[in-house]
Amino acid sequence: MGIRVNPDIYSTILSGLQVNTQREDQALQQVSSGQKLNSISDDPVAAATLVNLKTESSSDAQYLQNISSLTGPMQVADSALSSVVEALTSAQSLGVEGGNGTVNTEERQAIAQQVQALQQEVMGLANTAYNGQYVFAGTATTTQPYAADATAASGVAYSGNDQINSVEISPGEAMPINLPGSQLFSNSTNGVFQSLQDLYTALNTSGNIEGATTEVQNALNYVTTQQTFYGNSLDRLNNAQTFLNQEQTQLSETEGNTLDVDMATAVTNLSQTLTTQQALLAAGGKISQLNLFDYLPTS
Amino acid sequence: MSSLFGTMSVALQSLLAQQGAMGVVANNIANSNTPGYSRQVPILEESPPALIGNTLVGTGVTLKSVESVRDNVLNLRIQQETSQQSGLNSYVDSMNQVQALFNETQNTGLQSDLSNFFNSFQSLATNPTSSALREATITAGQDLAGSFSQTSQNLATIQQGLDQSVVQTVQQINQLSAQVANLNGQIQTVANTRQNPGSLQDQRDAVLQQLSGLVDTAVVYADDGTVSVTTTNGTLLVAGNQSEALSTQVDPSTGMHQIVSQGSDVTSSIAGGQLQGLLKARDQSIPAAQSSLDQLAAGLVSAVNQQQNAGYTMAGGKGGNFFTPFTPTASGSDAGAAATMSVAITDPSQIAASSDGNAGDNGNATALANLQNQAIVAGQTPSACYSNLIDQVGNNVYNATSEQEAVGLVLQQLTNQQGAVSGVSLDEEAANLIQYQRAYEAAARVISVVDELTSTTIDMYNPG
Repeated sequence: MGIRVNPDIYSTILSGLQVNTQREDQALQQVSSGQKLNSISDDPVAAATLVNLKTESSSDAQYLQNISSLTGPMQVADSALSSVVEALTSAQSLGVEGGNGTVNTEERQAIAQQVQALQQEVMGLANTAYNGQYVFAGTATTTQPYAADATAASGVAYSGNDQINSVEISPGEAMPINLPGSQLFSNSTNGVFQSLQDLYTALNTSGNIEGATTEVQNALNYVTTQQTFYGNSLDRLNNAQTFLNQEQTQLSETEGNTLDVDMATAVTNLSQTLTTQQALLAAGGKISQLNLFDYLPTS
Repeated sequence: MSSLFGTMSVALQSLLAQQGAMGVVANNIANSNTPGYSRQVPILEESPPALIGNTLVGTGVTLKSVESVRDNVLNLRIQQETSQQSGLNSYVDSMNQVQALFNETQNTGLQSDLSNFFNSFQSLATNPTSSALREATITAGQDLAGSFSQTSQNLATIQQGLDQSVVQTVQQINQLSAQVANLNGQIQTVANTRQNPGSLQDQRDAVLQQLSGLVDTAVVYADDGTVSVTTTNGTLLVAGNQSEALSTQVDPSTGMHQIVSQGSDVTSSIAGGQLQGLLKARDQSIPAAQSSLDQLAAGLVSAVNQQQNAGYTMAGGKGGNFFTPFTPTASGSDAGAAATMSVAITDPSQIAASSDGNAGDNGNATALANLQNQAIVAGQTPSACYSNLIDQVGNNVYNATSEQEAVGLVLQQLTNQQGAVSGVSLDEEAANLIQYQRAYEAAARVISVVDELTSTTIDMYNPG
């Protein structure tokens, strides 16, 4: 006698169908969501990696946002400094003009008035604000840094501070974002206001006009040098932005590789399960419905 | 030589025996689709021979008994695998609820809240006096704290649901144990009268099978036809016609139900079945996830507060706590840190963005943002700690699911094997039916031949 087999063949077909339905369900989910990971248990290691990728890419997005919110105030500061340089250049020409022996006292005093107007203009520029924040006040950004002060030697009083803020523009890269007025305009050796005040006084009182003009020239050179900070910083922001954009592209590609399903594979898997299901159903249908009773004589 | 009437009686016995055998076939056919039915076979036996003269002569056939064809060892294996499978099923079902809370693949989970929170400080650093950015930082903190406490509460809710299921499962186990004990008693009674307790055994097998789905069972067959049932670690469930009910009582330290048998706590000794899956999720996996979450929350709260205390507010005062400080209920324990997480400050100016007291300074905002990249939680960055949690929960389900498939295959094979041993084959029954029918016809023929012979003999004395 042969080996007895399980007479209930349908149970095998049924469990085959169940397993296949499960696979079909998974394949269908992948096709419809476009993701090969639909729960973290699908691939726990990939899911954990995904968390790190998303954190990194979210940080990068934040750095990009930092960069775009820094660009505005830095550009404003940069162009304010350009205007200061122009004003100082005019002041220097006025100094040269006033120092000429052919100019009489009245004319010199008129030139002095022009220098005073330039001083006013520079003070306005030093009080430049972006979005309500004074850009040359150090970190005291809510206080107007410069006001006219007749008691001060330079003719103005500085109420900002000499602090510098730094902001991260890419992972681990902090960049100083401001130059305080104390460093830019009220420097002890090359003070902008001091030089303008000295020139004004010299012109008004026919003092050492030549010395004061040199002072203005020095201040002009100094501000021009300082201005490169903003130019360089804007370049740095640009470079960081390019780098971050590239990194973001790379991260989202990696994220895609981790998370997204290869559609061709997914669709193939799905159609495979469909084929298997058809085969199983066909096999089920072809199982002999007959047994020995069908062949026994009925009478 | 046997007599004509002797032959007649042999033929008669044969008729009865074949009829009985056909009855068994009929019963098999009738039950061919009954779940749990084990096919029965008639046991035919020669009647004891009679000594006639010097010759031993056969005296026919008797239907000695009807036996069910079953393989108890195979049944035990099936019960073991069933225990395993139901344990895995209930574990996977429970943990699927848990992993849904951390499904980063569908963007549910804590990652985005964590990132947004630290990013908000990064934003604030670009313009530390902006009240809009300060407001946004508080909102991001509230979102983060809300997600932590929501997730923690959801974990607790799932755990409580499982605890309810544990209690219900224990009640079901008790009902089934009582049924087994009851059937044991009936089988013993039937066996004492030398009848076949097959159908009762089938019923008992079905109940044992159900029982093994709820808890791991060790079944021992006794000579008197009864079974004794314990868990694999020896907790008594059924002995003879007595069952030992399990009970549940709340463990005050965890608030969860313990399983008690004969006065002692047997919770940790349950090694299989739905009960084990529920207990594993309730007592191991969920508390582990909960404690990782608490650890992360406690680390964040303390690091952010510490950094905030090191800085200065808009008004130039020392920074207060950003989050409500967590007070451990037991020293060294972070339990409850996630559930109770909340933002302590409501006034945006209270955020200590400044490191030197100047309102426009951003040093401390940057320092707060940089906590994201510092090992502030058990020697890890918050993000690394969280991705470990993801890995842990994902692996819980992943491993159980793989095991589930393997056990499923084994179980299918065993069930198939059981079908091969005990299942009713209609072909086989048809063949047997023919065989018994022919034997019946032949025996009937013998009777008619003997009848003819008898009448011939009688006619010899009747010359007509």
